[in-house]
Amino acid sequence: MSHAPRKSFRQSMAWLHTWSGLVVGWVLFAIFVTGTASYYRTEISHWMRPELSAPTADPATAATRAAAFLGRTMPDALAWSVKLPTAEHPTAEVYWWNNPAGPYHHALLDPATGEPSHARDTKGGDFLYRFHFELSLPPVWGRWIVGICAMILLVSLISGIVTHRRIFADFFTFRRDKSAQRGWLDAHNVVGVLALPFHLMIVYTGLVELGPLLMPWGVKAAYQDDILAYYAETGIMAAGRKPAGQPGTLMPLGEIVARATAAHGEVPEVVMVTGPGDAAASVTAFFEEPPGLAHLHPQIVYAGDTGAELSRTGDVAAATRTGAVMTGLHEAHFAAAPLRVLFFICGVMGAATIASGLVLWTVARAPKGADPAGFGLRLVRILNLGTIAGLPTGLAAYFLANRLLPLDLVGRADWEVRGFFAGWMLAALAALLYPKARAWPAALGVAALAFLAIPLVDALTINETRFLGFDAAMLAVAMLLALGARLASRPRRQMRAAQPNRSRAVEA
Amino acid sequence: MTVPAVVLSICLSFSSFAALALSLDRHHRAVFRVPAPRNRTRGLRVAGWCGLAVAFAASVACSGWNFGPVQWIGGLTGAALLVVAVMSYRPAWLRAAAVAALPLAMLALPFALGS
Repeated sequence: MSHAPRKSFRQSMAWLHTWSGLVVGWVLFAIFVTGTASYYRTEISHWMRPELSAPTADPATAATRAAAFLGRTMPDALAWSVKLPTAEHPTAEVYWWNNPAGPYHHALLDPATGEPSHARDTKGGDFLYRFHFELSLPPVWGRWIVGICAMILLVSLISGIVTHRRIFADFFTFRRDKSAQRGWLDAHNVVGVLALPFHLMIVYTGLVELGPLLMPWGVKAAYQDDILAYYAETGIMAAGRKPAGQPGTLMPLGEIVARATAAHGEVPEVVMVTGPGDAAASVTAFFEEPPGLAHLHPQIVYAGDTGAELSRTGDVAAATRTGAVMTGLHEAHFAAAPLRVLFFICGVMGAATIASGLVLWTVARAPKGADPAGFGLRLVRILNLGTIAGLPTGLAAYFLANRLLPLDLVGRADWEVRGFFAGWMLAALAALLYPKARAWPAALGVAALAFLAIPLVDALTINETRFLGFDAAMLAVAMLLALGARLASRPRRQMRAAQPNRSRAVEA
Repeated sequence: MTVPAVVLSICLSFSSFAALALSLDRHHRAVFRVPAPRNRTRGLRVAGWCGLAVAFAASVACSGWNFGPVQWIGGLTGAALLVVAVMSYRPAWLRAAAVAALPLAMLALPFALGS
């Protein structure tokens, strides 16, 4: 930092980049890692429910059976929602709720019986997906924190671009043989710049997705509390009916699914029943989004008692479509397997940019010679170790808990989540106890071993060939972490031989 | 968005980025031990930027205006990462890899367009 009385614009931006990145870096790392894993949410959920393979009933029958289950469970609910079984999701996933603010009750039903499925109790990939934007906090709090972190990340990205003087000249530059600080700076620049389009896209579209939550006042001023009217007018959701206030009977849900299938030419993804016990119940059929970047589900609304069509979604206005394209880009539902791999790699690069930036902060401030490290530096080092090496260990613990916890454990899904946090916290605490010089290789090595254990434990417990892909991916993550551990242990030796007085810098 | 389309996109971007990297003195020196001669610098730069444009055209031709640009950018990131990796660990291999990527791209082209 310059001590000149007036700082240049670039220097101020460098200051902004350094400190904005530091204060939210640890949360952002967790957001990026879980978000990147969420590109494979379905695959993770499959692996975590090995009992399920193929759906055992057609969607219409499954819908009727699900409605029977929901009718027994909460006949006077505000709404039910049934996600119909497909080859990818072999169960009928039902939600029911009495209050828009929650709680939302949830069950997986065996399509053949309409009873809760015998698959092990787990949150599957949904836990990582929700952690990505709610951090396992109460939803509104979590989303606010994630939204604020995303805004600071946007600030950090822009100021980082301004700070980087030689974007084009250093585009391909990664100097491993120079000082530790140079190596970390190059690594931070390379992963940051090469995936810059992705980084900018993902933080901006993420903010747009959280926008209605962070800035609800426009919609609130125009529509008061009737959010559904807003959805209906923008064409996001087809309008239903006002409740009649009298009890009524719902026609078999499978009948409506059959009508919707005939009308749209494909089976709906989800059917939602609004006011199932009411005489004016309406049933909305949501279809898979048509090919394209936009994340908009076509819908048809039917009267729950007669099955007559009430309304359907049409073309949406430019603003809504733009928002939908942003959501689509963020979630990459459109991306087929090869493109999804590229999105995944970009996500890993995002996490790597944050991690290398955090480490760089400590490396650049490593005391020279025999000076003791200050409290701030030690704190950042510990948080870096605990987050960057601890979070992967927690993820591995989550997957291992899925295979190792007893199947009849009460609240099993919650215990898996506790396994995630316990793994993370234990790894972070252990990182405190390692001798400083060996902390990084040791912590990354533990994470690598934890991921290595996943395919082994899977082979010993489930051992099915359809999970080979997942197990191979876990093996690849283990290799990557092992490589990180090796890199973290090697330069120290090299540096010590080359420049004895600089060796402390790399121990950060 | 099929595998051949992504392979095509990455191969074209890889060769183009390799040309652009070699147009910079530091990287030219790492690969050939001499700084880049002036006339070669210009040739490499033109070839590199044209190659990136061709990669864009190929992505749009294979995957349409909807997904093509997204796929192109994804391919750019993947290819640039490969160039950096080769440049850092095996600089001497860069030229051979960049040349080899072109026939691979030609091989992927019919499959990418056909799908």
